[in-house]
Amino acid sequence: MKLAGYTLKLEKKASFTGLEAIVISVVAILVALFLVGFIFLQAGVDPAKGYQAMFTYAFANPFGAPLTINRAVFILLSTFAFIVPIRAGLWNIGMSGQLYFGALTAFGVAYVFGARTSGANLSGAIVIPLMIVGGAIGGGLAGAIPGVLKGKFNTNEIVVTMMLNFIGYWVVAHMIKEGGPFMGSGGEGEGFKLPASIQAPIVSGVSVLTLVIALLLAVLLYVLFTRTRLGYQIRAFGLSPAAARYAGISPFQIALITFVIGGALAGLAGYHYFGTTPNLNQIPKNYGDFGDMAFYGIICGLISQGNPLAAIPLALLFGGLTSGGRYVQGKLHLSYGIDYALLGVLMITLVAFQFFFRYRVVFKKES
Amino acid sequence: MTEIKHGDIVLQARGITKRYPGLVANDHIDFEIRAGEIHAILGENGAGKTTLMSILFGLTRPDEGEIFVFGKKVNFRSPLDAIDLGIGMVHQTRKLISAHSVLENILLGHPRAGAILDLKKTAEEVKALCDVYGYKIDLNTKVWHLSEGEKQMVEILKALYRGAKILIMDEPTSALAPPETKKLLETIQLMTKNELAIVPFITHKLPIVLSVSQRVTVLRRGKIVARLNTADATEQSLAMEMVGREVIFNLERPDVKIGKPVLQVENVSAYDDKEYWATRNISFEVREGEIFGIAGVSGNGQQPLAEVLAGLRKASTGRVLFRGKDVTNLSSLERWKRGIGYIPSEQRAVGSIGEFSLVENLLMSYYYDDLFVKWGMIDAKKVRQLTQELIEEYGVATPSPDVKARNLSGGNLQKMILARVFSRKPRLIIANLPTQGLDVGAMEFVQNKLLEEKKAGAGILLISEDLDEVMALSDRIAPMYEGEFMDILPGGSAQRETVGALMAGHKEKAVGA
Repeated sequence: MKLAGYTLKLEKKASFTGLEAIVISVVAILVALFLVGFIFLQAGVDPAKGYQAMFTYAFANPFGAPLTINRAVFILLSTFAFIVPIRAGLWNIGMSGQLYFGALTAFGVAYVFGARTSGANLSGAIVIPLMIVGGAIGGGLAGAIPGVLKGKFNTNEIVVTMMLNFIGYWVVAHMIKEGGPFMGSGGEGEGFKLPASIQAPIVSGVSVLTLVIALLLAVLLYVLFTRTRLGYQIRAFGLSPAAARYAGISPFQIALITFVIGGALAGLAGYHYFGTTPNLNQIPKNYGDFGDMAFYGIICGLISQGNPLAAIPLALLFGGLTSGGRYVQGKLHLSYGIDYALLGVLMITLVAFQFFFRYRVVFKKES
Repeated sequence: MTEIKHGDIVLQARGITKRYPGLVANDHIDFEIRAGEIHAILGENGAGKTTLMSILFGLTRPDEGEIFVFGKKVNFRSPLDAIDLGIGMVHQTRKLISAHSVLENILLGHPRAGAILDLKKTAEEVKALCDVYGYKIDLNTKVWHLSEGEKQMVEILKALYRGAKILIMDEPTSALAPPETKKLLETIQLMTKNELAIVPFITHKLPIVLSVSQRVTVLRRGKIVARLNTADATEQSLAMEMVGREVIFNLERPDVKIGKPVLQVENVSAYDDKEYWATRNISFEVREGEIFGIAGVSGNGQQPLAEVLAGLRKASTGRVLFRGKDVTNLSSLERWKRGIGYIPSEQRAVGSIGEFSLVENLLMSYYYDDLFVKWGMIDAKKVRQLTQELIEEYGVATPSPDVKARNLSGGNLQKMILARVFSRKPRLIIANLPTQGLDVGAMEFVQNKLLEEKKAGAGILLISEDLDEVMALSDRIAPMYEGEFMDILPGGSAQRETVGALMAGHKEKAVGA
């Protein structure tokens, strides 16, 4: 291509640095914000004011910021659930199903302790950790299904995990709706409420326990991939299944382990959102909306290139956009779905900008 | 188009230059091809042959330089432009549709193959073409029934039928058994009588270059280093030009005492990936200090056999003993741990991981070793140090052990794979096509390393397509054809012709001679 005496050429890049990746991602976000600005304009709102309102609410408002952080933790855990299998080249599209099962087992623990009926003097120090473990086990078992099927019969893991999402959705419905064992006392199609004694600690509206767990997991996963034998085996299998098999790495083990870990992380996300967020502490009627929110884990996982530390700021951004987007929609009387529009455009630009990980544009003066 | 006369320049390249990041693949290449000549382009891997070939066939555009075909300057946008001007290409890997007949394959892509196929007329024309070159083939046979040599001939016919006057051939003899090679060479010599220009691109089968070509152009590191009349060249001089230094062709076979059997294979059969029988009732043994060579054209069951022995494929019948113990049902990991080392034929797809650094690639054989991994944590420093040592010991050309494996040349990568496998001190080495695609220098290195391991007392199973290599290295030779050993011959006294005939499936001795 020629531009005013310069030739414009695309060159393939051999590699890219971490700094480049950050710069490219930030530019992509700015481009997305710019594009969505036209939606604001079309609705007669000054984009600068719109964004200011959105980001102030999402990150600096006493109501908005905790919501952002709680959602970010949820998205972060969903991202981890996606990242672990994807590093082995396996696609986990079943975070929502796994988090439903995790939520059910976590609440199942509380149920066993009698939390549904009375539970006023249960010991949080015992039940809360057991609920966390229960959530991880439930999610992990749900993950084991695609893991075994993939490892033993090489079934398509995308199809299996996707179908399990529907199964999970309806199993939750069965459990919490009318007549279900986890039905709440109001009988309005939601699960029972956790008694105050076993509600997780909340500081300024933020579920600190699960926040700390999620951040610790980010570090742990980072170490897993960079330093450990298991992480090495997972990465080797992800880059070249044939070479990994040649080196003695068992495809069955890799499929099973990565899906169980992924499922367990999604299960934690289920516990985190339904079991710890203030005003919730129950599986709500609209649990499906949160199941859908888990899909941001896929996009976060892809953009972060499977790096669990890089996923943290991304999860925070996505968490902020979901909370702030919904807020400005009401506040500035925008039409329904501005938050989804913004997220959608953002995803597309972020994916499109991945182009620059592989190519660089070079200007050359015509000779 | 005017009549082409013998010796006319049909294709000319001037100053062809192509740059890739960090590399000049073609550096001002000038040459011309004349009608009626076989003009071999010789070069090691990475010398720029593939790039040049792609440019001449319109797959890649040069950064600089001009190409003239029949005296007219051309600018290829795609291979279609090249084909329309009379350039034909016979690829190294066949590009035919195996479920279709020979005739359908020849017609595919031809401008006349519109909505209605005139198969009858095409058949007559192709038959006439076959007659010219004394080639017999049933045009209605499905391609998957054909041997490699026949498939190649179909590709040649396809190009000729499309009107090719200049035929580019990529490693034309690489997949052929010796009798098929002979036949191919006869055919292309016949073609030159019709003023066709043939341009074979060749890595290392130097005797072939010498036997058929009139002129040779040698590439090294993207530049032309020699233009010779074949009559003035010798195998040694060509090798020297290619590698840039003297190459010794005679391997010193060390005198090693043959010891106890390390590998005993009893009646092993296996299916291939398509669930066809790939190997049938194979029995043999490999002893300490012995090189047991399996000679055969790829696709005759060597690969499934190697995989069965390495634990990557299930044996349907029979058993495998390693140092006297039954290992038939052991995993590949367990076999690595016990001392079976496998060098796979696909270095890039199986033997290494391109996106991994050399350190991480070395880990492929060390991640299970508790000396390098404690409590599940990899001792990165130790692995890196070992990588560095092995890079020096094996003379791998790389700026650092942190370079990704995909950036290594074929020869260097194979050195790295050998280093990884041999450093585990295996008692049995299964080397599947260890010198395939390597240039002369790297080939010599690999062969000498195998001999060193033999000297150290390892039993070696060498699988090779290269008859010269098998003959030079093996203590015993098993020619393999369609999944079976045709015989097991003593290496020292076996006749080249006998082995060649057996690996082509002829039980009776010496064929075509």
